[in-house]
Amino acid sequence: MSHDEHGHHKLTFWEKYIFSVDHKVIGLQYLITSFVFLLVGFGLMMLMRWQLAFPGTPIPFFGNLFPADLAPNGVMSGEFYNALGAMHGTIMVFLGVVPLAVGAYGNYVLPLQIGAPDMAFPRMNMMSYWLYLPGGALMLSSFLMPGGAAQSGWTSYPPLSIINPGQTLWLLSMVILITSSLLGAINFLVTTINMRAPGMSLWRMPVFCWAQFVTAVLLLLAFPPLEAASVLQLMDRVFHTSFYMPKDLVILGKAYAGSGGGQPLLWQHLFWFLAHPEVYVLVLPPMGIVAEIIANNTRKPLHGYKTMVFSMVAIGVMSFLVWAHHMFISGMSPALGNFFLVTTMIISVPSVAILTCLIFSLKGASIRYNVPMLFALAFLPLFGIGGLTGLPLGLTVTDIYLHDTYYVIGHFHFVVVTGSIIALMGGTYHWFPKWFGRKMNDTLGLIHFWGSTASMVGIFLPMLFMGLAGASRRLYDPTAQLHNLPVQGWNVVSTISAYLLALFQLPFIYNFFNSLFNGEKTPENPWQATTLEWACPSPPPHGNFAKTPRVYRGPYEYSVPGRKTDFWMQTDPS
Amino acid sequence: MSQTLNPAAFMNNPDTHSGVTNAKLGVWLFLASEIMLFATLFTSYIVLRMGATSWPWGWDVLNVPLATLNTVILISSSVTIVMAYAKAYDKNKSGFQGWMAATLALSFGFLVVKAFEYGAEFKLGIGPHTSVFYAIYFTMTGLHGIHILGGIAVNGGLLYMSSVKEHWENPLFLGRVEGAGLYWHFVDIVWIFLFPALYLL
Amino acid sequence: MSNNKDARRDEHRPDVGLYVKVFAALMVLTMITVAISKFHLPRPQAIALGLFVAVIKASLVGALFMHLWGENKLIHRTLFIVAGGAAILILPLIDCVMISHRITSPADVASQHPHEGGHAATHEEK
Repeated sequence: MSHDEHGHHKLTFWEKYIFSVDHKVIGLQYLITSFVFLLVGFGLMMLMRWQLAFPGTPIPFFGNLFPADLAPNGVMSGEFYNALGAMHGTIMVFLGVVPLAVGAYGNYVLPLQIGAPDMAFPRMNMMSYWLYLPGGALMLSSFLMPGGAAQSGWTSYPPLSIINPGQTLWLLSMVILITSSLLGAINFLVTTINMRAPGMSLWRMPVFCWAQFVTAVLLLLAFPPLEAASVLQLMDRVFHTSFYMPKDLVILGKAYAGSGGGQPLLWQHLFWFLAHPEVYVLVLPPMGIVAEIIANNTRKPLHGYKTMVFSMVAIGVMSFLVWAHHMFISGMSPALGNFFLVTTMIISVPSVAILTCLIFSLKGASIRYNVPMLFALAFLPLFGIGGLTGLPLGLTVTDIYLHDTYYVIGHFHFVVVTGSIIALMGGTYHWFPKWFGRKMNDTLGLIHFWGSTASMVGIFLPMLFMGLAGASRRLYDPTAQLHNLPVQGWNVVSTISAYLLALFQLPFIYNFFNSLFNGEKTPENPWQATTLEWACPSPPPHGNFAKTPRVYRGPYEYSVPGRKTDFWMQTDPS
Repeated sequence: MSQTLNPAAFMNNPDTHSGVTNAKLGVWLFLASEIMLFATLFTSYIVLRMGATSWPWGWDVLNVPLATLNTVILISSSVTIVMAYAKAYDKNKSGFQGWMAATLALSFGFLVVKAFEYGAEFKLGIGPHTSVFYAIYFTMTGLHGIHILGGIAVNGGLLYMSSVKEHWENPLFLGRVEGAGLYWHFVDIVWIFLFPALYLL
Repeated sequence: MSNNKDARRDEHRPDVGLYVKVFAALMVLTMITVAISKFHLPRPQAIALGLFVAVIKASLVGALFMHLWGENKLIHRTLFIVAGGAAILILPLIDCVMISHRITSPADVASQHPHEGGHAATHEEK
C-alpha cells in the first residue's frame, strides 16, 4: 500500500486512505469494516448462546457490564435477548456478509479481473462506503437508545415491529444501507458493461465477475421494494399511519389507536421480495470465489464454465419468484403456496448444477492443497448440506412442521456460514498476496481452517437435530417448554462450539495483521493463476495496469498441452 | 486524476463497450431502481385499496384543481428542461441558462402549490394517520416531493456549473444535462400516474 | 477532441418542433383525464380510462422527451428486465385477491365488524 505513489499529484493522508476514490482502498475499507461487523454480530450471538445453553444463569465476565435493565444481576433479560437476536441477524446479513462479498471482494477484484483502471464512478464508490459506515454505526447506536435496539427479529414483521421500541433507528439505518447498496450495484453494472479491457468479451470473464454481475442485478431490482416497504413502516411508526396495522387490533387489552385497515402480510411479501434474492446475493459471490480457487489449484479448466454462468443467471431470475416459501404458514393463499413450492423446487436445479460443476472440476486433477483450496473444498460438502436441508422447508407439507424451528436456523446457517463465510475466508487467503504483496502464514491458516470448520459444524448440526425434535426458534428460555428439554443438551454442545469458533478466529486475526508486515514477500503471480488481477503488480498501483491490458483467451487455460508452463495467462499474446 | 481514469477513454474499445456512456447507463440503472421503488408503492396502494372496506373518490376528499395546476406545471417543466438540453446541444449558453432557470422556477412553483394543498388539509386536522387513503396519499406525494427536491438540487447544480467556463466546455457536460433531464422526466412520469391514481379514480 | 466526438456519439439531436407538439398533446390529455372524472363514471370504467390516458402520456414522455425512441438497445433491454422485475410484484396482488374475500366479503364483514357499513366513507367526506 505504500508503493502506489507515482508522483503526479501528492495525495494527502485523508485523500489516500480515508476519502479515497481508488477501488482498491475502498475495497480494503469494506474488508476491514465488514470483518469488524462480523465479529460484532458474532459477539452478540455468543451472549445469546450463553442464555440458550444455561438459561437464567449470569453471563460470565461480561454480565455485570450491562445496565441493570438489560441484564439484572448479570442475567440476560428477555427484551435484551430479543434485541440481540434481531441485531445479530441484521448485522450479519446487511453489515457483514454482503459488504464483505460485494463491497470488499467485488470492489477490489472485479475491476482488476476485467482489466479496468478503476470502477466506472470512483466518487460514487466512495459514497457507497461512506453511507455504509454511518448506516452501520447508526444501527449499532440503537443499542444506546432508550428502549434499546430493535426487538422484532431481522425480518421485522408487523404489527410487532411497529409496537416494539427501537425499530425506528433500524428502519432509518436500513434506508441508508439500501441506498449505499444501490449505488454500489449501479457502479458494478456499469463497470462490467463498459469498462472491460479490449478482448475481454463477456464469455472471457472469470466466473467471479459473472457472479458479481448477477449479484448487482439482484441488488438493483430487489432492494428498492424493501426501501419502499421500510418507508411505509417508518410512516407507521413515526406518523402513526396504518399501512401494516390491521383493523380492530388489540394490544395488551387496549385497542390500537391508529386508523387500522392495513395489511400485515404486505410487509412480509415486500420484505421477502428482497430477502430471498438477498440469500443469493450472499451465496453467488462466494460461489465465484470458490470457482476461482478451484480452477487455480486443480490446474485444469473449470468443468462447465458456461453451465455455471447460465446457472447463475437462472438463479438470478428464479430468485425473484420463490420468496413466499418463507410465508407458507403466514395466512397466505394456499393455492399461491403451491406456485412457490414449484418455483422453489426449480431453483434448486441450477444451484445443484453449479455445485456439480465444481465437484467435477476436481475429477482427475492433481490438487494443490493450500489453505485457500482447503476452504474451497470444505465449501462443497458443507454448502451441499445447507442446500439439501432447504428442500424440506420448500415443500409446504414438511414446512408446516419445520417452520420456525431450530431446523430453519441450522439450514440457513449451513448455507451462509459454512457456505459463504468459509468461501470468503478462503478468498482472503487467496487474494491476500495481491492486496499486500505478502503471503499469509500457512500453519496458522491450517489451524484456522480445521478449527473453524469443525466448530461451525459443531454449532449448526445440533440445531438440525433440535429442530427435528420440534424446538422452536427465538425462545428466550428453551427450558421453559417441556418438549425442548430432551434436546437441551444439544444447545450446550452448540454453545461450546460457538466459543471454540471464536477461539479459532484468533490465529486468523493475528495472521492477518502479522502477515501485513512480516509475511513472506510474494511475486506478482504467486499462485501461477491465469486471470488478469495477477497480471499487475502486488499491490496494484493507482490505475492498476501500467498500460491497458489486452485479453487473448478465456479465463481458465490451465495445463494446455504443448506449452512450457501449466498456466496460460489471459494477457499472454502467444 | 490520471488520464486512464477518464471513462471516455474506454469508449474506444468497440468490442467491449456497449456504446452508451457510463453516465447515461448509470442514470438509466438508477431509474431502474426508482421504477422498482415506485412499482412497489403502487402495488402497496392497490393491495391496501383492495383490502379496504371502502375507498373514497379522490375528487371528494382532495383538491383536484390544485393538482391539475400542478400537473400542468410539471409537464411544462419537462418541456423546459428538454429545451435546455436542446440549447446545450447547440452550445447556446444563455439559452440553456434561461430554460434551466425556467425549469427551476416551475419546480419551486410545484412545491408551493403542494404546500398550499398540504396546508389546507392539515388545517382541517387531516394527516397521514387519518385513514389508509390519506396515509397512501401523503406518503406517495411526499416521496414524490422529495424527488422534486432532489431534481432541484441537480438542476440548480447544472445551472451553476454552466456559468463556470471549465464545466461548460467539458465534453461531458451535455451528457450531464441529458442525465438530469432523464431523471426529471421520470419524476414527471411518476406524477402522471400519481395524479389519476390518487385524485381521479 | 476525440473524446468530445465519442461522447457525442450516443446523444440525441434535439427536435424543438416535436417537443412543442408533445407538450400540446400532454396538455390536451391532462384536460381529457380531468374532464372524464367529471362524468363520475362507475369505478371500473373510470380506472380503465384513467390508466389508459396515463399510459399514453407516460409513453409520450418516455419515447420522445427521454429519447427512448431510437435509443441504444442496451437501454431497452435494461428496461425490459426492470419491467419483468416489476411485473413480479403482481404476485402479492394475486395473493391479496385470493385471500381478500375472507377479509372483505360482506357476510364476513357483517359477522366480524357489525358497525362497519359505510362508516369509513362518511368519515372521509367531512
